[in-house]
Amino acid sequence: MAKGTNDAQLLIQSLRKAYASTPTSLKIIDLYVVYAVATALIQVAYMAMVGSFPFNSFLSGVLSCVGTAVLAVCLRIQVNKDNKEFKDLPPERAFADFVLCNLVLHLVIMNFLG
Amino acid sequence: MATSKVEGSSSLRHAFGGVLSVFILLLIGVVAFSIRLFSVIKYESVIHEFDPYFNYRVTQFLSKNGIYDFWNWFDDRTWYPLGRVIGGTVYPGLTLTAGTMWKLANSLNIPLSVETVCVFTAPIFSAFAAWATYLLTKEVKGPGAGITAAAILAMVPSYISRSVAGSYDNEAVAIFALIFTFYLYIKTLNTGSLFYATLNSLAYFYMVCSWGGYTFIINLIPMHVLLCIVTGRYSSRLYIAYAPLVVLGTLLAALVPVVGFNAVMTSEHFGSFLVFIIIHVVALVYYIKGILTPRLFKVATTLVLTVGIAVCAVVVAILVALVASSPTKGWSGRSLSLLDPTYASKYIPIIASVSEHQPPTWPSYFMDINVLAFLVPAGIVACFLPLSDASSFAVLYLVTSVYFSGVMVRLMLVLAPAACIMSGIALSEAFGVLTRSMKFHITKYFECSHTEAPAKLGESTSTESSAPLENMTKSDTTEKPEVARKEKVARRKQKKEKELTENAHVKPVSAKKEKRPLVLPLEASIVSVFLLIVLGGLYVLHCVWAAAEAYSAPSIVLTSHSHDGLHVFDDFREAYAWLRHNTEVDDKVASWWDYGYQTTAMANRTVIVDNNTWNNTHIATVGTAMSSPEKAAWEIFNSLDVKYVLVVFGGLVGYPSDDINKFLWMVRIGGGVFPHIKEADYLKDGQYRVDAQATHTMLNCLMYKLSYYRFVETDGKGFDRVRRYEIGKKHFKLTHFEEVFTTHHWMVRIYKLKPQKNRIRGKSRKSKLGSKSTSSKSGGMTHKNPWN
Repeated sequence: MAKGTNDAQLLIQSLRKAYASTPTSLKIIDLYVVYAVATALIQVAYMAMVGSFPFNSFLSGVLSCVGTAVLAVCLRIQVNKDNKEFKDLPPERAFADFVLCNLVLHLVIMNFLG
Repeated sequence: MATSKVEGSSSLRHAFGGVLSVFILLLIGVVAFSIRLFSVIKYESVIHEFDPYFNYRVTQFLSKNGIYDFWNWFDDRTWYPLGRVIGGTVYPGLTLTAGTMWKLANSLNIPLSVETVCVFTAPIFSAFAAWATYLLTKEVKGPGAGITAAAILAMVPSYISRSVAGSYDNEAVAIFALIFTFYLYIKTLNTGSLFYATLNSLAYFYMVCSWGGYTFIINLIPMHVLLCIVTGRYSSRLYIAYAPLVVLGTLLAALVPVVGFNAVMTSEHFGSFLVFIIIHVVALVYYIKGILTPRLFKVATTLVLTVGIAVCAVVVAILVALVASSPTKGWSGRSLSLLDPTYASKYIPIIASVSEHQPPTWPSYFMDINVLAFLVPAGIVACFLPLSDASSFAVLYLVTSVYFSGVMVRLMLVLAPAACIMSGIALSEAFGVLTRSMKFHITKYFECSHTEAPAKLGESTSTESSAPLENMTKSDTTEKPEVARKEKVARRKQKKEKELTENAHVKPVSAKKEKRPLVLPLEASIVSVFLLIVLGGLYVLHCVWAAAEAYSAPSIVLTSHSHDGLHVFDDFREAYAWLRHNTEVDDKVASWWDYGYQTTAMANRTVIVDNNTWNNTHIATVGTAMSSPEKAAWEIFNSLDVKYVLVVFGGLVGYPSDDINKFLWMVRIGGGVFPHIKEADYLKDGQYRVDAQATHTMLNCLMYKLSYYRFVETDGKGFDRVRRYEIGKKHFKLTHFEEVFTTHHWMVRIYKLKPQKNRIRGKSRKSKLGSKSTSSKSGGMTHKNPWN
């Protein structure tokens, strides 16, 4: 047991150390992802309390949070300099794609929100 | 100098190849369009079959009233007295596409009528589908395979059968949307660009709008993602290709009214959500693996596993409880009948009765995809050498569509693009190997007569020898060229031959994967190329024959050739025109559900049931009425305000799809809801017959009487040309119905319900005083007075 908790602590410490070395821009994106997922969870908790009518509003709210989180992760993948596959993709292009996809997503959300 | 000249000539060749490709693709589009015009040439520009008439009517409404009325349209001229919410139950893609094209053409002052646009929508979109196949196969294998696949798809009979000019049905645009969505998915997978992921979601939206078969896409793509993960081909491009599609795609699918909340609540979509969660878990695992040392990673995995398995078990238990609580496990009836082919025949006879939903026979494979049936396995082998994400997708698509086409003959249509892609790849690879052999031998000839130049220039500029078709010939071919060369070059310089054989020996040893001079002997190559071209010619011949003879019949107009020329049977339109001109606008017409769409579209009268078959009880009511004796049938029809009854009868001319042949389905469906109708009552010794040995119930039911009333007057004996015997009951009178119209060849017969008598003689007078006569005096709806 002691070894288990020791291992867990060691694990968390090494994770923290490894994560601290990521560049700030990626950390901002990660923060945004965490914020989006947290918003989604809050919405689900609210729906559990209040009921799911109207369902389309709930669905569009949760899916918009999940959608922006997913798109932010895609942006992070494309902008990350450690990623060899996207070496020759300029980050401006990645960001432009991100904006376009978000635009389409939010257009659909606004339509579905009711 | 030499290199730049080579570059210059190769870039010129590329440019020339590009222009030639564009020209070829244009020609392919023209072929795809023209091969579907046989029905217009042989018959006329008319809408075919049954379902297209509904789509045509909806398009007419859209073009006349605009899109807002279309979304909110409640149709009261069908499924009387229930009506149908058209806006919420129709897949709008086809009608919106045709409506847009019509509006565009008219705004440019090209005066096309709605019918013309509807008739020619399918050929235009088949040309687009051929181009989409080119793009998809180019992503999988290369431009050569792309052009071959496009050429094959333009002509494949299975696709022609559902997209001739006049077949204005959902599949006409849905197949194009399917191929285009797959192309964008593969493009996103190959490039990892979020832009293409967005386009992929929008193409998927178009597919959801067009066809109920979109569930195939939303289950195939997750299957492929799972396959990639399991075979160790996970990459961040896979995440970018899949995750935005799920979120955006589900939202867009929920936007379409006919899908609505089914996009998140039915089992057809759960697969995509499950794989969505799985891919996130896998992505996280890869990320953590990247930033931790291996030892710590092991510790992390043990920790996560213990916690994760507990959580998973709870979640799975909840999900299973939820899903198992619904009787169909959350799947819709049609999807369940695909997974369990016996489901429909046990529980939903309507789905089982549609002839398109039956399993196909073996000959139909050769009829519908012909030569492709044995090019496909070669294509599968070619896809594995080398295996990439895109080619694994193509193989998965083919395997699943082969399974589904074996369940339902209608889904051969989904198999067609997969078979074309595979065959395109196979043919292209075969041509590649053969022409490479020919080039090798021919350049060798020229070299032997010139100075010694490295003969392998021929191979190095050819396409990467990534896919030798037959692996087993590899060992042979290294010997064969030697043998052949020895024979041919024996007269030439010995030194040259030795050098070449040495090179040939060295090459396979040195070059591991590329630049293997896999060549076949020259004669074999030439003969093979010639035979492949002959094969292609035979395929084209078959496709043109199938398009002209088998799939161009509009089925609303029939023709037959006899010794005195061509007979045209235009009875259906004759009957609908009679209805249109000789009945009141609000009269209700009852017939079997096959003819509902045509009646509302062409005769413009209210019908009781139509091809949408959404209400089984209503159809069972009509079926019961057709199976009951005259009086009971009259009561049922009267309660539905029916004025006219329409039956289709083929006994005089030998038209086999008439109502008497469909009658057993009416009995089965009616008996499924009303237990007093038993199928055994209509069968004599288990056999269905209408001659003198038929049962009493059969000879007295409404369908028999309405079909064979006065039939004996035609030839004196009542010989039914479809059933091929004389009918049982020949001379009878109708008591509750009167015949108002029979078409020229007796194919459609229309009867009117006789109004109830005002005065009834005899003892039943007192009991009849309660009911009033329901004859309509001045048109419009008449109601039974509830106070009498």
